[in-house]
Amino acid sequence: MKRNHFILLCIIPSVIILLAVVIVPMLGAINYSFQDKSLRFLEGDYIGFQNYIDMFDDRRFINALKISLYWEIITVLGTLFLAILVSILLFEYSHKKYRLFIAVILIMPIMLPKVSAGLIWRFMLSPVMGLINAPLISLNLNPIEYLASPKLALLSVAFVDIWQWGLFFGVILLFLLETLPRDLIDAAKIDKVKKWQLHYFITFPMLKGSLITIFLIKAIESLRSFDLIFTMTKGGPGITTETLDLYAYQQGIGLRGEISYASAMSITMVIITIIIFTFIWKRTQRK
Amino acid sequence: MFKKILINISLVFSVSAISLNAFANSCKGQVDEINVLIQAHPAMVHMEKHKADFEMLMDLKVNVTTLGEQERRSQSRVDASTGAGGYDVYYVDEANIAEFVKGDWVESLDKYYPASADMTDFQEGKISIGNINGTNYFAPFMGGQDVLMYRKDIFEEKGISVPTNTDELLKLAESLTDAPNIYGWAQRGQRGSGMNVWRWNPYHRGFGGEWTKSDGTPNINSKEAVAATEYYMKLFDYAPPGGRAGTWSDQIEAFRAGKVAMMTANDVFGAWVEDAEKSSVVGKVGYADLPSPILSGGFAHGLAISKPGTSSECEKVMAGELIGWATGKDMESMRLDEGIYDIARKSSASNPKFTSLMPADFNDAVRATSPKTSLLIWKIPEWPAIGDELGLVLEELFTGTRTDVQGSLDEVQKYAIKYLEKYK
Repeated sequence: MKRNHFILLCIIPSVIILLAVVIVPMLGAINYSFQDKSLRFLEGDYIGFQNYIDMFDDRRFINALKISLYWEIITVLGTLFLAILVSILLFEYSHKKYRLFIAVILIMPIMLPKVSAGLIWRFMLSPVMGLINAPLISLNLNPIEYLASPKLALLSVAFVDIWQWGLFFGVILLFLLETLPRDLIDAAKIDKVKKWQLHYFITFPMLKGSLITIFLIKAIESLRSFDLIFTMTKGGPGITTETLDLYAYQQGIGLRGEISYASAMSITMVIITIIIFTFIWKRTQRK
Repeated sequence: MFKKILINISLVFSVSAISLNAFANSCKGQVDEINVLIQAHPAMVHMEKHKADFEMLMDLKVNVTTLGEQERRSQSRVDASTGAGGYDVYYVDEANIAEFVKGDWVESLDKYYPASADMTDFQEGKISIGNINGTNYFAPFMGGQDVLMYRKDIFEEKGISVPTNTDELLKLAESLTDAPNIYGWAQRGQRGSGMNVWRWNPYHRGFGGEWTKSDGTPNINSKEAVAATEYYMKLFDYAPPGGRAGTWSDQIEAFRAGKVAMMTANDVFGAWVEDAEKSSVVGKVGYADLPSPILSGGFAHGLAISKPGTSSECEKVMAGELIGWATGKDMESMRLDEGIYDIARKSSASNPKFTSLMPADFNDAVRATSPKTSLLIWKIPEWPAIGDELGLVLEELFTGTRTDVQGSLDEVQKYAIKYLEKYK
């Protein structure tokens, strides 16, 4: 068998699977997005770009775009910050003998399905019966409405996301720090550089590639936040935590059943994501 | 295969000639399994626990899929509308039965409900919710009406009596609030089916609001709707924190935790607050008629035969048999034996097992609110979408991301007109 034939033979099954699970549904969604189908009436007419035009006159869509952007920024930067902080603290202050044990504890949150994590935190943050508010109530103070306050809800859900991913990536960064050449770190310590200087100027620049990878992984992962937000707030209070995927669900599968409109939103989301990630990817490659 | 086709044809043509029991016998062994979509309700959990009895009786397997309330509604709608037919039996309720009938997604139950299960024994208020144009589409297994639940220990201690009108209710809610120890009132704020609109409706309709004007056009932004919204919003000042975006579960749990002095709730929750294992207020709760002019929101949940899921006559017969078994007198009696309060039958209402489950004042309260009970939501196929929009706007008003009540309801009115026009 010729080499090229062998390569083709290896690639074809993956391409077929890719076509079946990605391209076909995507084409179906594109087709739906140009019609006016709903779950009540599956026989739709083609209406051109009307669904796409309607989106920009839809306050919930504009709001969902904004919330999705906030969500991305808060969760990605928050995760990176926590991961770096945890890795430095453990690298500097934990005894090597106990690191594995600590790492196991820290990766536990990521092992929880998002739905479970969402439910656990929803109860913990409850103003009436939650553990987090218990100290305030015991002091006869009014509890904090973490999930019912329009100002706090998005931050509270983002906190749970960062708690899950930040600790996990912190452990990964810790083990990456351990793989760096010791002589550089020892030389810096002999020169009496401060701890923050060591990491700011030496270790983390050496881990730049890994940090970019973590950044991209988390940015893509944050787009898939539906289950956590749905479990904790269902997009509320009002629409203050309603991201694009959640809104598309509410419109398409939820009580509205507007599947063509929801498809148009999903396609728009895919296009925006591709543009943004291509831009980020090019920027990181250039450097 | 040929044998199966012959049996199906003979069943179709002899539908009026022989009894359903005979049908069921002919279909034994012809259906391998029945797929049922339910939500995690005590009566349904009980049914699943005992499904082996039915499996043995009918020589088939029963597969039960359990989802949360909103997810169950979404899943059944997608399954039905796309014709996927993944389920033979749907769990339906007052919010979506009209849509399911209009969509031709559920089968008439009159034809397939086993005579031995006695459809005439269902309480009128519950069976009527699944009755569209004289045809029964679901068999109820639970439902209810509203009553006022209050902490009689606190009322006795303070020497106060239950409120008889909405002015007294508001004053009492304020005076009983001693945050963060106890709150005068609890209600639902979150959008969604069975959530805020369901509890707002008794005020809206009680204040004289109607869903449509005399010409049949929507009337969501009426002055009565505005007054009801403003009143409902005032009550939140005396509710536990988080209530403005809270679910029915948050409301009931706060009451069970002893944090709430009064609430209007469906009578099905009576057993929840008197559950010694989960409630801290057992024996401390009084039940009373609703303060005037608040109405009582009637509702019912039931089981229906899925049209897309039952392609053969035998599948429909077996689905009907399962519904008959799950909603039958014996099953209700078994539920009462196990302390599950959900009933939908006349015969169960007078059953001593039922009447002795709850305090006497509870039964008095249920009797008192019966005349003012009806299905208060708009019983039209378009309700899920219109109700969702209304619920969202109400939640925004409750949580303060909107402040203009009239303007907000005007928006819902516009949405309803546009939506009804689109799907005319």
